[in-house]
Amino acid sequence: MDNGMESMLDTYLFETNSLLDNLDEMLVKDEKLGDFSPEDVNEIFRIMHTIKGSSAMMEFGSLSSIAHHIEDLFFYIRDKGIDSLSSQHKKELFNLMFRSEDCLRGQVEKVENGEPLDTDMDSFASEINDFLKKISSEFGDGSADKKGSKDAAPAKDKGAPADAPAAEKLPIAEHLPADSNAVCFLHVFLEEGIGMENLRAYMIINALKECELDFRYYPENMESNPDTCATIIEDGFYMAFESEEMAAKAETNLCTQNHIRSYQRVSLSDLTQDSAPADPASSGPADSSPDEQAPVQQAEAPKKPQPQAPPKQPPVQNAPVKQNLISVNLTKLDSLMNIVGEIVITESMVTSSPELGQLSRDAYDNFMKSARQLRKLTDDLQDIAMSLRMVPISGVFQKMNRIVRDMKQKLGKDVRLTLIGEDTEVDKTIVDSIQDPIMHMVRNAMDHGIEETSEERIKAGKSPQGEIILSASHTSSEVVISIADDGMGMNPDKLLAKAKERGILTKPESEYTRKEALGLVMLPGFSTNKTVTEFSGRGVGMDVVKKNVESVGGVVSLTSEEGRGTTFLMKIPLTLAIMDGMKVTVGSSIFTIAIANIRQSFKILSDEIIRDENGSEMVERLGSFYPILRLHEFYGIPTEITRLEDGILMWVEASDRSFCLFVDDLIGEQQVVVKPLPAFLHSFELKNSGISGCTILGDGNISIILDILSLHAAAMESV
Amino acid sequence: MSEQMNDQEILTVSNTDENSAIERCLTFESGDLILYISTKHVIEIINNHSITTLPLVPPYIKGIINLRGQILPVVDLQQRMGKEDSDYTSKTCIIVLEIDSISLGIIVDSVRQVVDINLKHVRPIPLKRQQKLLDGMVIMEDGSVFMSVDCQALSSTED
Repeated sequence: MDNGMESMLDTYLFETNSLLDNLDEMLVKDEKLGDFSPEDVNEIFRIMHTIKGSSAMMEFGSLSSIAHHIEDLFFYIRDKGIDSLSSQHKKELFNLMFRSEDCLRGQVEKVENGEPLDTDMDSFASEINDFLKKISSEFGDGSADKKGSKDAAPAKDKGAPADAPAAEKLPIAEHLPADSNAVCFLHVFLEEGIGMENLRAYMIINALKECELDFRYYPENMESNPDTCATIIEDGFYMAFESEEMAAKAETNLCTQNHIRSYQRVSLSDLTQDSAPADPASSGPADSSPDEQAPVQQAEAPKKPQPQAPPKQPPVQNAPVKQNLISVNLTKLDSLMNIVGEIVITESMVTSSPELGQLSRDAYDNFMKSARQLRKLTDDLQDIAMSLRMVPISGVFQKMNRIVRDMKQKLGKDVRLTLIGEDTEVDKTIVDSIQDPIMHMVRNAMDHGIEETSEERIKAGKSPQGEIILSASHTSSEVVISIADDGMGMNPDKLLAKAKERGILTKPESEYTRKEALGLVMLPGFSTNKTVTEFSGRGVGMDVVKKNVESVGGVVSLTSEEGRGTTFLMKIPLTLAIMDGMKVTVGSSIFTIAIANIRQSFKILSDEIIRDENGSEMVERLGSFYPILRLHEFYGIPTEITRLEDGILMWVEASDRSFCLFVDDLIGEQQVVVKPLPAFLHSFELKNSGISGCTILGDGNISIILDILSLHAAAMESV
Repeated sequence: MSEQMNDQEILTVSNTDENSAIERCLTFESGDLILYISTKHVIEIINNHSITTLPLVPPYIKGIINLRGQILPVVDLQQRMGKEDSDYTSKTCIIVLEIDSISLGIIVDSVRQVVDINLKHVRPIPLKRQQKLLDGMVIMEDGSVFMSVDCQALSSTED
């Protein structure tokens, strides 16, 4: 596949996925209200229309066929008005739409993975058709046959013999389509030799529809039928308007479109006056005129070989209309981030260069002046580069709507999901890695958190409808995401009993505090549900969530009150790529500790050290005792400073673990770009020994970044 | 076993295509051995780099270096082969390799030159050994014996 095709596929996937996201959001919202608003019916119609067109262009037959059927369905609904549906039908329609959405998504996923698409969509398509038939028959409307009223539009022209005679008489309107509602046509010719005329024409039509113009176009099936190419080359294509005004508006818009050679406005009122008397009894009802067009196509198709122009990059549809957005490959952003990071470091390397000392005083002042300017610019650059990667979390949150909706039906629980702070912006990498944890926790809350029946809730003095609150907010350096339910809550004693049964207790039951007991749910192999359900209870549960969140440097905690509900709290650093670090030395090595982890650094005297029976050292700070970890011993680094009173203690804290690190000396604070360790070293699992990565310092040396959490696990918990 | 396999592979390759039997190789010294490695793996040769040591890794991993912003692990070849490390001299240098998209540097005593080696003349090492870092030997026209470094073994850290 050449590059052009691939970027086209990218565009297609991006566009289709965002349309489906749109659809999802709309369906969930409308289902809550129990009704489609007319705008949404239009919007769904438009979405399906776009998907149909672009899928046909990419030759994804199954996608375009499903979209086509839904489009038919919604055309009918739009035509009749949504209120003509009974509430029972609406319910069915919602279910059908959700399933269609899943079906479309399934196909898009296959496209993404490069798998072959399902070719047999007939069963699903006929389901949609059956539904259409059902609602149309009940409405008692004969004109909506099973093919959908879209095709039926020309059929409504019965008894309006206006166009067909005109077509015979006037050369201009030789193939003027049958459309009695139209008072005015625009007849458009495309430039010669541009290739894929049918699709280009379709693009133009789409663009005009974007401008909220309402019209029909002929040949009707141009986007899916490549045979129409020949017709369009030969005779151009038509747009039919119901008012002159609309046509005039379209005309002005048409000027901005590409590839148009010429166009002509054909006003029907002129034609009918001329032609109607001339041949009143000609071919009779106009429903024969679509047939009239068909032979034209057939006749011309063999004459002209199909233009086999390679598909070219289509103009990006509808992107510039609403938002000034472009989509950028994430890897490009990553490399931009990297380069910006390097610039920041190089800048400090230059401005702190020792050679500067040899400058004269004036020259040095001048230099520093420029250097300060440079520093300001690089800071700005860094801020902008960072903000590029930030995306609102709403995408993830919206998906939860759907999950809650599906589970609500399956489990028969009445739950409402409240979203707070959807527009909180988070680094893209983080958004990707917290989607699964959030989904898991929402499912857990639905499945285990909320009471089985509304009676139980009423008995507990709560409103019958359960509530799950998903909220996101910012603090200065981290994102806080909480998932709270107002369900049963957790009983620490039950958790303890369960954990004992599973044999995952590490100390006597009575020694567990309430907080520790709650923390048990996050241990591997703990699942409080007796049976495995579709949604949760597979035994891989909160421990996976915890691991996922910790992999992006975050922490999970939970509070729960029996009878009141459970709240999970995730705190995740805003960005991973750059952090504020404190540099410390041990022997000849330089380590960097995230400032966020440091509580205090201090010197102590030898009589402040407390030892236990094994000789392990501790120190008292603010009324609590903390173990001391001698970094040089743990990592086996030779150093001259081995007495605690000669070095410095760093009181560090991560998640709920707090201890003191003994290091030789403090160097200072610096912003560092986190780089992963080379792949070659992965088998040594340094990540599990407290080394999470490294960074290049201003002087070109490398500093090792310490991960306080895993350092604690490796050094303190292994004993 | 694996050496024989390799040998067979090399033989089949050379049978089908005469040209492919010749391979350009970089020769270098480590301890008292003369070794060679195919130039397709060699990125560059550097010296005088300050190495940042890493804790909790085997002694043959000397640490990591900053090569123009890229973090590169460095292995002492002699220690990797299970010998004592010798003092680093001015001739000591780091050969930067890329093997199957894994980048690493190896410390060798000195670099010699690039030679053409006919793979048809490469013989397996006829000894049972613990270490499998070398996977072939070849005698040159001047009578010196070169040994081939097994890139796969070098790039994997499992012993």
